[in-house]
Amino acid sequence: MVLKAFFPTCCASADSGLLVGRWVPEQNSAVVLAVLHFPFMPIHVKELLAQVQQASQVGVAVLGTWCHGWQEPNESLGPFLEGLGAIFPHEPWLQLCRERGGILWSCKVTRLQAPAVPDTPREDQVMLIFYDQRKVLLSQLHPPAVLPDHQAGDATASASGLAAVFDTVARSEVLFRSDCFDEGPVRLSHWQSEGVEASILVELAKWASGPVCLLLAGLLSLISAASTCRVFRMWPLSFLGSKLSTCEQLRCRLGHLTLVFSPQKAESPTQLMRKANTLVSVLLDVALGLALLSWLHGKNRIGQLADALIPVADHVAEELQHLLQWLMGVPAGLKMNRALDQVLGRFFLYHIHLWISYIHLMSPFIEHILWHVGLSACLGLTVALSLLSDIIALLTFHIYCFYVYGARLYCLKIYGLSSLWRLFRGKKWNVLRQRVDSCSYDLDQLFIGTLLFTILLFLLPTTALYYLVFTLLRLLVVAVQGLLHLLVDLINSLPLYSLGLRLCRPYRLAAGVKFCVLEHETGRPLRLLMQINPLPYSCVLHTYRLPSCGCHPKHSWGSLCRKLFFGELIYPWRQRGDKQD
Amino acid sequence: MMCTQPITNTKEAKWQKVLYERQPFPDNYVDRRFLEELRKNIYARKYQYWAVVFESSVVVQQLCSVCVFVVIWWYMDEGLLAPHWLFGAGLASSLLGYVLFDFIDRGEGRKKSGRTRWADLKSALVFITFTYGFSPVLKTLTESVSTDTIYAMSVFMLLGHLIFFDYGANAAIVSSTLSLNMAIFASVCLASRLPRSLHAFIMVTFAIQIFALWPMLQKKLKACTPRSYVGVTLLFAFSAFGGLLSISAVGAILFALLLISISCLCPFYLIRLQLFKENIHGPWDEAEIKEDLSRFLS
Repeated sequence: MVLKAFFPTCCASADSGLLVGRWVPEQNSAVVLAVLHFPFMPIHVKELLAQVQQASQVGVAVLGTWCHGWQEPNESLGPFLEGLGAIFPHEPWLQLCRERGGILWSCKVTRLQAPAVPDTPREDQVMLIFYDQRKVLLSQLHPPAVLPDHQAGDATASASGLAAVFDTVARSEVLFRSDCFDEGPVRLSHWQSEGVEASILVELAKWASGPVCLLLAGLLSLISAASTCRVFRMWPLSFLGSKLSTCEQLRCRLGHLTLVFSPQKAESPTQLMRKANTLVSVLLDVALGLALLSWLHGKNRIGQLADALIPVADHVAEELQHLLQWLMGVPAGLKMNRALDQVLGRFFLYHIHLWISYIHLMSPFIEHILWHVGLSACLGLTVALSLLSDIIALLTFHIYCFYVYGARLYCLKIYGLSSLWRLFRGKKWNVLRQRVDSCSYDLDQLFIGTLLFTILLFLLPTTALYYLVFTLLRLLVVAVQGLLHLLVDLINSLPLYSLGLRLCRPYRLAAGVKFCVLEHETGRPLRLLMQINPLPYSCVLHTYRLPSCGCHPKHSWGSLCRKLFFGELIYPWRQRGDKQD
Repeated sequence: MMCTQPITNTKEAKWQKVLYERQPFPDNYVDRRFLEELRKNIYARKYQYWAVVFESSVVVQQLCSVCVFVVIWWYMDEGLLAPHWLFGAGLASSLLGYVLFDFIDRGEGRKKSGRTRWADLKSALVFITFTYGFSPVLKTLTESVSTDTIYAMSVFMLLGHLIFFDYGANAAIVSSTLSLNMAIFASVCLASRLPRSLHAFIMVTFAIQIFALWPMLQKKLKACTPRSYVGVTLLFAFSAFGGLLSISAVGAILFALLLISISCLCPFYLIRLQLFKENIHGPWDEAEIKEDLSRFLS
């Protein structure tokens, strides 16, 4: 069986010493973590290894020897290296050698115990795999890890084997704490041996984050406690809160901030990533909101907006009036019942008249309202967008009313017609058996039923036309609101931090590895370079998408069409029957 | 039954019509006694010509009802008949019919059904009130719909009324509810074409009288006094013929031909066809349960 030795590239030019690492017997591979230089006291080495083992729960051991720069194993050095094997007993014992400045590598594996069959050679085939220790340490292998690309022939490492390698490197971070400037009893060579990587800003942030998080978490818990107090649970407020998308968005943001500033440490990398994503999303949101705020409040744009808003509302009302007058005539040559047409048209016209007077009553205050509403943008662009969606909903309230009246009337007609059609055929709906049974009606029941059936049948086209027109208007408004909600949802749920990480540090999110052949000669160990395959963007999006917190109704297209046909209200009211489900 | 048959050949084993015994015959073997049990036309009925003519009078009556209704509507539409006259006549004939209805069987039917006079009065009030209340709506109901559409709908509905009417046959297609509803629908459609709402009201009232109340009286007349029923039918048919004659001579002649063919030719044809009937019955018939099994149902 081929023995795989994972060797960090940063140690390739290190001085001779001992190979420290972990032996993975299931994969028959040795993961070299660091090189321990001569001279050392074996007792110190054992102490260090015990410390690391205790801290990281990784079975770190001395795997073999590393000699760099000898032409041939000297006569004096040979027994010495053999002797080291006796001090640090390990099975198998690796002996890695590299010519100084040269490209000749050699590797020897000796097993102390004699093999069962004496004829088998004592030396196994060895494959040297070089890896970038820093990248492997920082990268996170994804659970749906794809098998590595077999570019280099017989490189066989299963996904679980790779996971073991990544895990070993990531967990033995303690080993990499000491650098060459430490005055320790042993000298190690690894990726940080030239100096520990650190940034003052990061250290400051780490140091400050604890108290800041505690303070903010306290504040947030105060706010959430206030929002759950009894006043908000009473009828009108709770109802408004559940219907206004601004309240929903605020609640969602509160949840996000609570998550980010919770004093508990993130348990898993996924959770950490989620926290970071949420934080970046909130920050971006607030930044965009501030930009909007500065744009709105400069150069009297609020005033212009307010001046433009009233004519727009007037214009919409006028268009609606024209539409109603068209409907009251002979729309598209349809034959409608003239009397009912006039009644409905006048009713809706009066409604528009009321609406216009209301808007004109409001017009002096619109600018102030807008100014104060504009301030909410500092809470984030999403809040401002939600507010915009609510304002649209309030300003098109007349369309909503028309839609509800039309739908109610139409619904009544449809249900009346369907039950009277059963009466017409001498049948009735049996509620207990959930089926249509035949039934003998009285003469007067039959007469009144048929009379009503005829009347409803001839009045249906008029009602249906009004319903159709107002439903289309309502759907337009709902589509605009839906677009706004989609935008808000996008900002809320886009994993910006993960995407940025993927863009700037592709190795941080690993989907697998690929191997490049460095040297392939007979008689020499096969040398491979392990490179990290970054996760595809679609996978990043799929894995790290934040849960959206909208209250959007989940309709399938079929059920939506069915509801529209039967005149049931689609959004946002629920039917009485839905609550029982 | 098999044992009573004489044994023709004592040497051969006797064939038995059973499957549970092993016999030296092929499975599809039958002997000469096979067709002995054949019976022909055991359920065929012998019809009397005049009895069939009498029964066909129900169809004639219904055709005449539709004809009279259409004729009256035409008179109203043309303005030849004042609605008050029709209302008065309808009211008088309804009262007369109501009295007759109880007089014929001396109140036995009423006792059996347990229907009080108060319920009758209530029904009448409901009819009158609703029709009167809805008549303005009926008047404007089909203003924008084309007259031809209304005519076509009415024709279809009246045809449906004739098809689904309960003439006394026991068939799946018969549905007196549907038949009555179609007639009312047709009358509402036609009434909405009349010039004023009073016309519409009286037309619909007349439709109820002729399509709902008149068949009930007919049924009772036919059951109790067949002679007077024949007279009433003849009178009704002649009046319908006369009414149609005043509108269109060709239509009246065609209608008369239709009535004659239904009441005289069709029975004659039925009796002639009866001679060609060849119904065979035998042991191969499906099993028929003749006993009353209701005691098993409990």
